[in-house]
Amino acid sequence: MARVELEGVSKVFSDGTRALDELDLSIPDGEFMVLVGPSGCGKTTALRIVAGLEDASGGVVRIGERVVNDLSPKNRDIAMVFQSYALYPHLSVYDNIAFPLKITKVPKAEIRRRVADVVRMLDLEPYVKRKPRALSGGQRQRVAMGRAIVREPQTFLMDEPLSNLDAKLRVQMRADIKKLQNELGVTTVYVTHDQVEAMTMGDRVAVMRKGKLQQVAPPEELYRWPVNAFVAGFIGSPAMNMLQARVARQNGALEVVAGETRFELSEAMLASHHGLAAYEGKPIVLGIRPESLEDAALANVDGQPRMRGTAELREALGPEVLMHFSVAAEPAITDEVRELAEDVGDDRVVGQLGVPGRAGAQLVGRFSAESRVREGDEIEVAIDARALHFFDAESGLAIYDA
Amino acid sequence: MRVPALTLRALILAAFAVFFVAPIVWLILAPTKSDAALVTSSPFSFGSFGNAWRAWHHLDAFSDHIYRRWMTNSLIYSLSATAITLAVSIPAGYGLALGRFPGRKLILSVTLVVMIMPAATLVLPIFLELNALHLIGSMFSVILPFSFFPFGVYLAYIYYSTAIPSELLDAARVDGCGEWSTFRRVALPLAKPVVALVFFFSFVSNWNNFFLPYVVLADSNQYPITVGLSNLLASTPSFNPAVGGGGQSVNIFKPELALATLLAVIPVAIVFLVSQRALVRGMLGGAVKE
Repeated sequence: MARVELEGVSKVFSDGTRALDELDLSIPDGEFMVLVGPSGCGKTTALRIVAGLEDASGGVVRIGERVVNDLSPKNRDIAMVFQSYALYPHLSVYDNIAFPLKITKVPKAEIRRRVADVVRMLDLEPYVKRKPRALSGGQRQRVAMGRAIVREPQTFLMDEPLSNLDAKLRVQMRADIKKLQNELGVTTVYVTHDQVEAMTMGDRVAVMRKGKLQQVAPPEELYRWPVNAFVAGFIGSPAMNMLQARVARQNGALEVVAGETRFELSEAMLASHHGLAAYEGKPIVLGIRPESLEDAALANVDGQPRMRGTAELREALGPEVLMHFSVAAEPAITDEVRELAEDVGDDRVVGQLGVPGRAGAQLVGRFSAESRVREGDEIEVAIDARALHFFDAESGLAIYDA
Repeated sequence: MRVPALTLRALILAAFAVFFVAPIVWLILAPTKSDAALVTSSPFSFGSFGNAWRAWHHLDAFSDHIYRRWMTNSLIYSLSATAITLAVSIPAGYGLALGRFPGRKLILSVTLVVMIMPAATLVLPIFLELNALHLIGSMFSVILPFSFFPFGVYLAYIYYSTAIPSELLDAARVDGCGEWSTFRRVALPLAKPVVALVFFFSFVSNWNNFFLPYVVLADSNQYPITVGLSNLLASTPSFNPAVGGGGQSVNIFKPELALATLLAVIPVAIVFLVSQRALVRGMLGGAVKE
């Protein structure tokens, strides 16, 4: 077990692509660190550099106390789980799991014992004699995990290990992997593009974009205090609603104005976001999480700001209703938002871009199940002003303190 | 309309089949007949097993069992050269497909160029080279040039660059393999189909090669079967009236020749059947996602 450290790690491919730009990341012993970001953000490159499958163009990689830049993968004492599982097709399940031990010349009796332990831990006993082709996706995934665990390595590296499983199995394996990592206490670097996986599994999550680290924080902090509009938009599902707004002063109090919606900033809000004062008269981006929006007919808190809109689509999920509605305001389409929307396979934020030919911005609210709002209704929506987010309209940086 | 169309198609197919199969059937039946019957009786009639047995005795007796000698020579030459070819071309194809080193593209292009060059074009320079090395007349003068088989490198290259997922090799490296044991323990066991292919093609091309051994070997005891057969042909009175007159007991006639060519095909057929078995489908099933 060991900590993993990356100091100013860069990667420039031979075609000139800069996949990683001065990545600094320190992962303490035993931590479950998730690297997350849209495709092409450099997360897999970072992982492969830690594994030694890719050379860093610059910077230092440390595992434990050792600088491993010049060590080949076999000498780094790591185990890796690949997206495709990469099981050896000519070997049985038993031999697949025993493979790393045989290579490192572990005594036969010990190999038998350790493989048997792992096989039991992962419920693979009935399959030890089978070849990978005779296994289901979930079983193959467990064999791949087994091959990593049996090493008792200093570090686990996992490259989207769940992305080839169906949704139900993925949820189960998510919990299983997290539990296993807790029991083994092995430092783990886990790469995924799925923010739900990141939030549910990581002790801390590192959000990356275009080769640059955006923010490293525990999931709750990432969700509550995103450093910029990209992190805010990436973390959370449905994604944060973002509107163009400006800060104005009315009767001595600071107000946020977004289209037809305007509301006064509370004392508490200003206290935690007093940087806002400097934006008086300037454009900002207002971010509202879907759960901060509620059908006004059901909101029982007095003095909450309201916004008017037209219900467009009602998605009843059971415990709650996702209400898509349009409001008279400009959607905030920052570069980050556009990039997120264009990222293949991630359509959570496409709604943010607005529907062509329809004025105003499309928002999503997480209403309680009792909401009677139907598609086409003119609605009033209550905003929970205690959990709003503000971003600089130019840089996309979150506005907290001055 | 349908039935005549079908009939027409069947007729065309049958005509082609007969055209191609007839000579093969004739050849198989030929050793069972006497030399005279071969000309006079119906082309597809069966003679007798006795005739075939006698033809073998004549063939075997020719020049003190030299036919067996030629077959053995061919086996030695072809198998040794094929062994060298396999030992070289599989790792070479692997390296060219998955390695990243300067000159890789150049080596690949050169491989392609020499692959499409007819082997016969090199016979003369190879002869001069072997002569300079004092190898003319030794078995190495055949085996070494035979073992040069760029097509094998190319086949291995294609296989490794398309059929083996690179994550599999990455997994081996992370699991503790160096470059050699990654090849030995993962890449090579998975290359069974291409090993079989290279084995087959290399063996067949070595077995069938006539020109090179014809040029570099002087002693008829060293001939492979290809050169031997032509030698045999030259000893047949019906093809070469100059022989068989002067009281020599040369009993090589058309049935013996037919038998000689038929027997010469057998090793190739066996090699084909053996390598065919290794060309298993689904070799990589379960390695990575499908």
